Amino acid sequence: MGEFKVHRVRFFNYVPSGIRCVAYNNQSNRLAVSRTDGTVEIYNLSANYFQEKFFPGHESRATEALCWAAGQRLFSAGLNGEIIEYDLQALNIKYAVDAFGGPIWSMTTNPSGSQLLVGCEDGSVKLFQITPDKIQFERNFDRQKSRILSLSWHPSGTHIAAGSIDYISVFDVKSGSTIHKMIVDRQYMGVSKRKCIVWAVAFLSDGTVISADSAGKVQFWDSATGTLVKSHLITNADVQSIAVADQEDSFVVGTAEGTVFHFQLVPVTSNSNEKQWVRTKPFQHHTHDVRAVAHSPTALISGGTDTHLVIRPLMEKVEVKNYDAALRKITFPHRRLISCSKKRQLLLFQFAHHLELWRLGSTVATGKNGDTLPLSKNADHLLHLKTKGPENIICSSISPCGSWIAYSTASRFFLCRLNYEHDNISLKRVSKMPAFLRSALQILFSEDSTKLFVASNQGSLHIMQLVEGSFKHLHAFQPLSGTVEAMCLLAVSPDGNWLAASGTSAGVHVYNVKQLKLHCTVPAYNFPVTALAIAPSTNNLVIAHSDQQVFEYSIPDKQYTEWSRAVQKQGFHHLWLQRDTPITHISFHPKRPMHILLHDAYMFCIIDKSLPLPSDKTLLYNPLPPMNESDVVRRRTAHAFKISKIYKPLLFLDLLDERTLVAVERPLDDIIAQLPPPIKKKKFGT
Amino acid sequence: MVQLRPRASRTPASAEAMVDEGPPASEEEAEHGLLLGQPSSGAAAEPLEEDEEGDDEFDDEAPEELTFASAQVEAREEERRVWETVRRDKTLLKEKRKRREELFIEQKKRKLLPDTILEKLATASQTDIKKSPGKLKEVNLQKKNEECEKGSGSKKVKVQKVQSISQNKSYVALRLKDQDLRDSRQQAAQAFIHNSLYGPGTNRTTVNKFLSLANKRLPVKKAAAQFLNNAWGTQKKQNAKKFKRRWMIRRMKTPKK
Repeated sequence: MGEFKVHRVRFFNYVPSGIRCVAYNNQSNRLAVSRTDGTVEIYNLSANYFQEKFFPGHESRATEALCWAAGQRLFSAGLNGEIIEYDLQALNIKYAVDAFGGPIWSMTTNPSGSQLLVGCEDGSVKLFQITPDKIQFERNFDRQKSRILSLSWHPSGTHIAAGSIDYISVFDVKSGSTIHKMIVDRQYMGVSKRKCIVWAVAFLSDGTVISADSAGKVQFWDSATGTLVKSHLITNADVQSIAVADQEDSFVVGTAEGTVFHFQLVPVTSNSNEKQWVRTKPFQHHTHDVRAVAHSPTALISGGTDTHLVIRPLMEKVEVKNYDAALRKITFPHRRLISCSKKRQLLLFQFAHHLELWRLGSTVATGKNGDTLPLSKNADHLLHLKTKGPENIICSSISPCGSWIAYSTASRFFLCRLNYEHDNISLKRVSKMPAFLRSALQILFSEDSTKLFVASNQGSLHIMQLVEGSFKHLHAFQPLSGTVEAMCLLAVSPDGNWLAASGTSAGVHVYNVKQLKLHCTVPAYNFPVTALAIAPSTNNLVIAHSDQQVFEYSIPDKQYTEWSRAVQKQGFHHLWLQRDTPITHISFHPKRPMHILLHDAYMFCIIDKSLPLPSDKTLLYNPLPPMNESDVVRRRTAHAFKISKIYKPLLFLDLLDERTLVAVERPLDDIIAQLPPPIKKKKFGT
Repeated sequence: MVQLRPRASRTPASAEAMVDEGPPASEEEAEHGLLLGQPSSGAAAEPLEEDEEGDDEFDDEAPEELTFASAQVEAREEERRVWETVRRDKTLLKEKRKRREELFIEQKKRKLLPDTILEKLATASQTDIKKSPGKLKEVNLQKKNEECEKGSGSKKVKVQKVQSISQNKSYVALRLKDQDLRDSRQQAAQAFIHNSLYGPGTNRTTVNKFLSLANKRLPVKKAAAQFLNNAWGTQKKQNAKKFKRRWMIRRMKTPKK
């Protein structure tokens, strides 16, 4: 494995924003998640919960509702009063429509997915028709006195329940008039609260309306008579979200205390036909408010202010008890937020609205393996670059020589030149970016910092020549005809001859940069690509997929390498395939061509291709072999995968030079310390 | 560009402002605004209702002997009469509206920007809307800019969008009044959600207390989080510093006297 001097970086002050809405799509088994900063992320649950796509946030676009409609179309609505449709192929916003009802609090589609219903601040419920390329306003329902915070459609599409402040109204869809108004009790344990906000409602096919309110109650109402049937007091705090299974035999509610309760429809006595709703299981996976829940056929999905997305499979629904039935907790984005300039030992951190440039510290002390060395020079915060405008940064990159910084928002691309004079640095923005460079999904500099590769969201790849202080557009690789798929990952070979690019679903394309043409396409694989890199000298392309498979493809020979074939023949170790965070970065050792370095959020690994692969019987996570054992034993137990779990959660790891590593960690405690205050809970004995 | 029927109530005084909003807008968006314009205006439903009024003329009188022809003529006459009155009312109303319209325009003109700028706005926007090929994602840019046309004798109000007024395409004109309303509503909504989640009576603790509680029950005790994070309590520290300085000054002053 070799010994390394490691820069253990913990000053990346990154706080993911809280989850606001979660929408599950049964057809494609995908999950859309929106965050408080307006970011929308799409997770593919069948591809090992990989975050496939994301739409950058916007300051004024606080998303309050998210839903899938008409099959695969994704809509969101927010406090700026707009309904937005996302283009899932080109990864941008298709259009935004103002609903003219003030801030929008809730949105649902009808069961057939052809109509969209929004509930607004001014108490209006508006019906929109979904046309193939747009949405069109159809009509208003009876206007209510106060804001409509939640909406739910009856499965037959004839009635609607709308939760407001202190009451729930039931609408008839045809006439648009209110049939019933059910007043929710403000009283909470005998004390009258100010008001009772109905945070969520759900309409069942037998006419029952389930409501979740700020007094901590989950209530069942009969929509035909408008009466309260049953009330469950489940918490002292707000109940904020509700989601019902498609079979309507179970539902889940999320509370402000961070507890998620599972309700199930069970027979009153064994062998009787009469069934009733019973609160069955509480789950405490969150520390803060659970703002959104979803119910997939096999799992409960919850997300909240504490920024975790938790997927909790239901044991009775899981057929095979394998690793897929384990709890998943997704906290960090599955893309890289950090880039590194090896020559100048700089790290560029990407935040939602600014970039930070740090120079790593250094030490003169030496020690033996495992020692923590004192710093002789502390890390320097060189630059704080704030973006103009309300849009979030999509991607950023620093050149290996450290003198260029490029970043992009949804509408603008920025390129800056850094000049170093002794201790002070100066920044100069390169003006006059060409019109086609509006926004980029991925930016990459070549190893010698003379070329810039930009993957734009129209699916094309641009190559720019960087000359002192300015740039020249060299070439644009247009997407193959008929595809509009955006490229999300780029890799360039260290000699600058090859460029590999991969989209969200199709295979990896390899371009020849010298001749400016498509060289070959790596055969498509079922699972999305999570990381790409091209090895020096051999020009082997190493591809990691979301199911933890790693392939090695020889670009000059246009075929998989021998090692990759051998790996595929034998298969990876079962523990390797069960890892639940995707590999986000691959790099190579400059002096040891047989080594591949890769990492995910909880481990980093050096694959030594010269050693035999581990079989399922051998220990994968081997501790360092004891020194006193004989050399023979060590050689017998040695295998290709050298795994270290010292640094976690690991956001970035790369080789600075032959003997130095830089590892960027983000401890969870530091994130919790910057979150909004949680609900007070009494703990016994404190 | 659409000619809306002149409606008095829908011509608020406008004040244009130049706001830096990035990319230029496209025609696609102009349609967009239109689509939305319809539901809120509610003008489309009017003529239908009036058509039907002539038909329901059924009286429960005793059956008289009438020839079919005469009855038909009578009915037609009646219908015509009703129709006439309706039309007359309508024209009267139109007249009235027009008069008010003119008054409004007169009033507005007094508040408007100088003619030269308006002229420039109108010409630039008309040519640019046709030319500009770019795409725009934000709808809130497409604010309506209402201005009066001077050449035509009958003064009509034109509702049109001005996406890019000058040659510089990074500028977009929008009405600040609309934006202010939108912002204030959004802020009110945010305040509501913040108040109902974190306001008084919501039983929130502080993160510090929460972490120390977790630390208390931990088998391995760690240092309190507030010692790890220097950013906490900055306000308190500053206040203490200020207080100390003031106190020192006071102490230095008092013994002299």
